[in-house]
Amino acid sequence: MSDHIVRSYDADLEGLRRSLAEMGGMSERMLGDSTVALVRRDTALAQKIISADQRLDNLQREVEEKAVLTIARRQPLANDLRELISAIRIAADIERVGDLAKNIAKRAVAISGQFSPPHRAVVGLEHMSRLVQAQLKDVLDAYAASNEQKAMEVWRRDDEIDALYTSLFRELLTYMMEDPRNITFCTHLLFCAKNVERIGDHTTNIAETIHYLVTGQSIDETRPKLDTTNILVDLPAANG
Amino acid sequence: MLSTLELSPQTLDADAPVRIAVKNLDFYYGEHKALKNINLDFRDRHVTALIGPSGCGKSTLLRIFNRIYSLYPEQKATGEILLDGRNIISNNVDVNELRSRIGMVFQKPTPFPMSIYDNVAFGIRLYEKPPKSELDDRVEGALRRAALWDEVKDKLKSSGMGLSGGQQQRLCIARTIAQKPEVILFDEPTSALDPISTGKIEDLLEQLKADFTIVIVTHNMQQAARISQYTAFMYLGEVIEFDATNTIFMNPHKKQTQDYVTGRFG
Repeated sequence: MSDHIVRSYDADLEGLRRSLAEMGGMSERMLGDSTVALVRRDTALAQKIISADQRLDNLQREVEEKAVLTIARRQPLANDLRELISAIRIAADIERVGDLAKNIAKRAVAISGQFSPPHRAVVGLEHMSRLVQAQLKDVLDAYAASNEQKAMEVWRRDDEIDALYTSLFRELLTYMMEDPRNITFCTHLLFCAKNVERIGDHTTNIAETIHYLVTGQSIDETRPKLDTTNILVDLPAANG
Repeated sequence: MLSTLELSPQTLDADAPVRIAVKNLDFYYGEHKALKNINLDFRDRHVTALIGPSGCGKSTLLRIFNRIYSLYPEQKATGEILLDGRNIISNNVDVNELRSRIGMVFQKPTPFPMSIYDNVAFGIRLYEKPPKSELDDRVEGALRRAALWDEVKDKLKSSGMGLSGGQQQRLCIARTIAQKPEVILFDEPTSALDPISTGKIEDLLEQLKADFTIVIVTHNMQQAARISQYTAFMYLGEVIEFDATNTIFMNPHKKQTQDYVTGRFG
């Protein structure tokens, strides 16, 4: 992304990439920390995440404004135009990741005094979150390196997360049936799991944007979906 | 998301007949070979833009189409330019007839030092002798099509030189279309105009493509992207890439094209 005849144009585009890298780093930290806060019931850490989200929102607005201004000033074409459109889209995805992480942090605060089910209920979520963190990291690296192949690997791997979400959904239902006192805690966990699963969806959005950025084409395959909770009607057996 | 082609408000008919076919065209200014083996198809009732840095040969190509180069003995074209199947660079072509079929509008407005009416009638009288009433109708029709009628209808007898730059350019377009050509060549028609006049000319081109095959040379990349359906990128006398305009400006196949349209070399 260099070597424009007008050098300040290069500086504009680099500035955008830098802001996006900062946003990406923040969102990764927020997701990691929110999971830790949830597992350890660390309300102080949770509060930190909740207030960090404001900075991420501000950065997103900044990226959007810079991109719009560059479009107006430079009338970009071809890969430059895709670069700017991609920046706007990726910033929006990262901002949503931050919102979802913040929501997990809020729930960590909400359940801090609640009766809790066996610790393994949280372990599944922790595992899922680690997978998504790896996905998020990989997709942001792919963006930084304009590596379309790596982005598509992330895109294909999302079905693992969907499958994990489905099994976690079943597991939490089981705890709720075992002991009604688990319901509040497990319901919050279920929402947290859904948030993590959605963050996974945002990483695939970003992967699709990278594909568009690099190739100029949109993806025509449909992504494999293994989240079957929306069609899950039978209650799992107590031992399942 | 739609593919880049479907995004365009401009309809591109890939089956439109080829109005001008350029085949293996070479062009020489004396010893200097300015065009090298050009092969291009210009489709009927479509706007084709020629882009490229100064000296790439785009204006040269445009000027071959109506044989302006024939005025200069040291200039020579070889190969074929087929207009409806006839090679227009062969010696037995009637250049006057050719120019009535292929009109041209230049970068700087070139009104003649005569009245607005006569400027438009001039083109018609060159080739025909219609009765006065028909001539009036055709002058009015051409001025209307050039989106100039409302601005000049009360001063048809005043000099064309007294109009603003943008109006003069539309007057030249009116003069060209009054001859009922099949093809209109535009050589940077808006580079000397303000944005409002430019907008009017672009709007006009959009209307004109319903009836004419249009070839436009422009240095304004966004203008080419806005108004044309096909674009040829030329560099050092060669066509580097020729494709649907949206492909050229959104996702060109050649790196040189991408570098040029994004302002990386010139």
